[in-house]
Amino acid sequence: MATQAAFMPGAQAKEQGVLWSWLTTVDHKRIGILYGSTAFIFFLIGGIEALIMRLQLARPDNTLVSAQTFNELFTMHGTTMVFLAIMPMSAAFFNFMIPLMIGARDVAFPRLNALSYWIFLSGGLFLNASWLFGMAPDGGWFGYANLTSAQFSPAHSIDFWMLGLQILGVSSMLAGFNFIVTILNMRAPGMTLMRMPVFIWMSLVTQFLLVLAFPAITVALILLMFDRFFGTLFYLPSAGGDPLLWQHLFWIFGHPEVYILILPAMGIVSEVLPTFARKPLFGAPVVIYSGIMIGFFGFGVWSHHMFSVGMGPVADSAFSIATMLIAVPTGVKILNWISTLWGGSIRFSTALYFSLGFIAMFTMGGLSGVMHASPPVDLQQTDTYFVVAHFHYVLFGGSIFGLFSGAYYWWPKITGRLLDEGLGKLHFWLMMIGFNVTFFPQHFLGLIGMPRRIYTYAPDLGWNFWNMVSTIGAFVIALSFVVFIYNVIKTTRTGQVAGPDPWDGRTLEWSIPSPPPVYNFARVPTVHERDDFWLGKYGDGHGGKPRGAPAPVTAAELAAIHMPPPSYWPILLAIALSIMVTGIMISAYQIIVGGLLTLFLMYKFAMEYHRPPEGHGH
Amino acid sequence: MADHAVPHAAHDPNIGTTGLDHRKMGMWIFLGSDCMFFGSLIGTYLAYKGKSLSGPGPHDVFNIPLTSYSAALLLASSLTMVLALAALQHNRVKAAAGWLTATALMGLHFVLNQVYEFWSFAVHEGLKLSTSLFGSSFYVLTGFHGAHVTGGVIWLLLIVSLALRGKIDARDYTKVEVAGLYWHFVDIVWIAIFTVIYLIP
Amino acid sequence: MAEAHAPSTAQPAHGGGHASVRTYVNVAIVLAIITAVEVATLYIHGIPNWLLVSSLLLMSAAKFYLVVGFFMHLKYDSNVMRSLFVGPLIIAILIILAVMALFSAYILLPRTYP
Repeated sequence: MATQAAFMPGAQAKEQGVLWSWLTTVDHKRIGILYGSTAFIFFLIGGIEALIMRLQLARPDNTLVSAQTFNELFTMHGTTMVFLAIMPMSAAFFNFMIPLMIGARDVAFPRLNALSYWIFLSGGLFLNASWLFGMAPDGGWFGYANLTSAQFSPAHSIDFWMLGLQILGVSSMLAGFNFIVTILNMRAPGMTLMRMPVFIWMSLVTQFLLVLAFPAITVALILLMFDRFFGTLFYLPSAGGDPLLWQHLFWIFGHPEVYILILPAMGIVSEVLPTFARKPLFGAPVVIYSGIMIGFFGFGVWSHHMFSVGMGPVADSAFSIATMLIAVPTGVKILNWISTLWGGSIRFSTALYFSLGFIAMFTMGGLSGVMHASPPVDLQQTDTYFVVAHFHYVLFGGSIFGLFSGAYYWWPKITGRLLDEGLGKLHFWLMMIGFNVTFFPQHFLGLIGMPRRIYTYAPDLGWNFWNMVSTIGAFVIALSFVVFIYNVIKTTRTGQVAGPDPWDGRTLEWSIPSPPPVYNFARVPTVHERDDFWLGKYGDGHGGKPRGAPAPVTAAELAAIHMPPPSYWPILLAIALSIMVTGIMISAYQIIVGGLLTLFLMYKFAMEYHRPPEGHGH
Repeated sequence: MADHAVPHAAHDPNIGTTGLDHRKMGMWIFLGSDCMFFGSLIGTYLAYKGKSLSGPGPHDVFNIPLTSYSAALLLASSLTMVLALAALQHNRVKAAAGWLTATALMGLHFVLNQVYEFWSFAVHEGLKLSTSLFGSSFYVLTGFHGAHVTGGVIWLLLIVSLALRGKIDARDYTKVEVAGLYWHFVDIVWIAIFTVIYLIP
Repeated sequence: MAEAHAPSTAQPAHGGGHASVRTYVNVAIVLAIITAVEVATLYIHGIPNWLLVSSLLLMSAAKFYLVVGFFMHLKYDSNVMRSLFVGPLIIAILIILAVMALFSAYILLPRTYP
């Protein structure tokens, strides 16, 4: 975009080629678009993996894929959906929307932001490269020891998984540091913490979860790596090692991880509902405190994934009680969302449909979750399709529905055009029906005994009918995505042009053009209240009058804005880091070369603005 | 809306709207997450303490005098680190470079002590990564700490080399302060490891 | 606060006060003394295990506090910086304790194994 060049220091202001400008961008909005598009492609890949599994399971004694391939499919489907689809899709919204909603011009560390994206892309490509080598990971997305040991998984499949996750972990943690500093330290004047939009609060809690939970899985994976490559005994029962160590470390990460997956969607819903009910979020402070509690106590429930391993009654009870308690703040939020709608003046947009769908589907997933919280009940349900149904209700019915709500809500801000509402509603209904047809019967299948992670089943167990139904539902879901993709393509050129504020919104992002200029805000706003933008439009109902249109922005003000110029160090550093990490399964020379290159590029990255050109502190 | 344009001349992009520096804030949260990293490694060590099936145990092999000397080195290096910052604050760059070099050299000495320790355990005591749970958890925990120290030494020496070439002065206080925070953290992790692993029986 | 573009002797702004060089040296001396006492405690003949372990933990906590508070300046810094570090520290300690409990690794109990 020509406007990109206008705000950069003289030397870098020359026009760039389009590809180069994307490879070197440090603009949070472009990085958000990169995350979103990449995540969507991985989401489709994960979906295809699911469709193949559903085809295999549609009939008993099926031979579409082998057991080995099925193991790879469910491993890659889970890993892809968690790490390459939902998390980066949330990251797309963090990237695009956080600075806009807090009144900032970019994030605290723009080049680090770009680095996070390129590391994510490298990790995702590396993980999926395993398919090309016929060595896709096959140990489940949770990689339990000691199936993953060198003895039982001698091929490189597990190494692709292990190293891929390490790379992705770096990306997530760097982004976490960046957004924490951005949210705490770059809010517009007057925006106290309690005046921040709830989406920002949920994102902030998510970032803390990211930076505190990933170290645990980093250690778990390091111990695995040492076991596989250097002969350590961490997960080796014959040497006194305990496979449960893996499970504990993994779930100390894994449980906060599921809150990482759901909180952003909850934040989105907390923005969409007030906008389309024309009513403030009911009990916003309570929703915020509930989010904080969920984040904090989420570190105390991890062993509810391990009720069947024999931890003993004390541990089982402790984690069971903690898990049931955590349902309370979650339930509070649901009641607050419903109360927001109650008495509101509701406009049924596609974004609202998806948020309503979120509330219904997530609640259902929460109900099956509360059942799992009881160890004796869980002993029946664990490792069956009942659990598969539960987590798809919260992750698909919850996170994915929430993310699509955000997509339809913020699409006009990001692209400048509205998605077609008719096609949007068709997408919603197909997805809603398809999703429930796919996953509701899986509750039944679980209760009548169908285990997880089996590639086929005998015909006389009574599982045939619901498996077929579930498979049909999966293809209805697939059809819904065809509708969505068609909507995107169709409206790219001919969609209705959205102005700055197509939904009559409440928060700061709607006060600037769609799409926003590179500098976001020509004039940094001053905030007086939560939903300050709305109050500025309509007054506060207590005699506070609407603020009129602000004085036009002067050329001098625009000239004073300086945006960080593009940089090629992030993409280069991401490549070097990946060379170093993947060298662990290839050769020591690669580790050394990659390591030296990484060190050198870190130095160049750090020195890029050591003495910035006169007039631009960095 | 009562807006205001942020005056350009006063705008330091590293300082946020709270008046705090982004880089300092970022380093503190990084150190918070590193607490979880070392916490997981220490937790692993303690989970496996006393459960090795064979091989020498901790109190068969630990050289407390050497390790105490190493602990003292790191503590002293934390002192020289703050002295370096105090000098830099007054733009006494050469003094700062001197103190930073002392810090880095003490850190390097720590790492060399550790290399010696690992070598003597492996060669004289028969304790390797693969010997026992103790071997595995000890080497991985203290090895990663040593790797953190090594990273810090490299970072400090890079700052020294920049300073000697006239590229560091009082303007860079926060950058060096951030390196200092990292360095002190490496010290406090050792305080924890020294007590929990070496001293407590 | 913007840092001056030309080298100057002006102090960059830091939250709150600032420890002097003398304070730093004093803290370092105290740290050395505590370390010496820690090591000496190990050699006290016949000290009960619970007393040994708790005094070692207390002394190392004191050292931790001194380095974080004075050398890392956290005593003088804003609440934000404090919370960013102390919160995760507390979570990490709680998780270590939980893992110890889950693996029956009670270091405070008398050793019953060689």
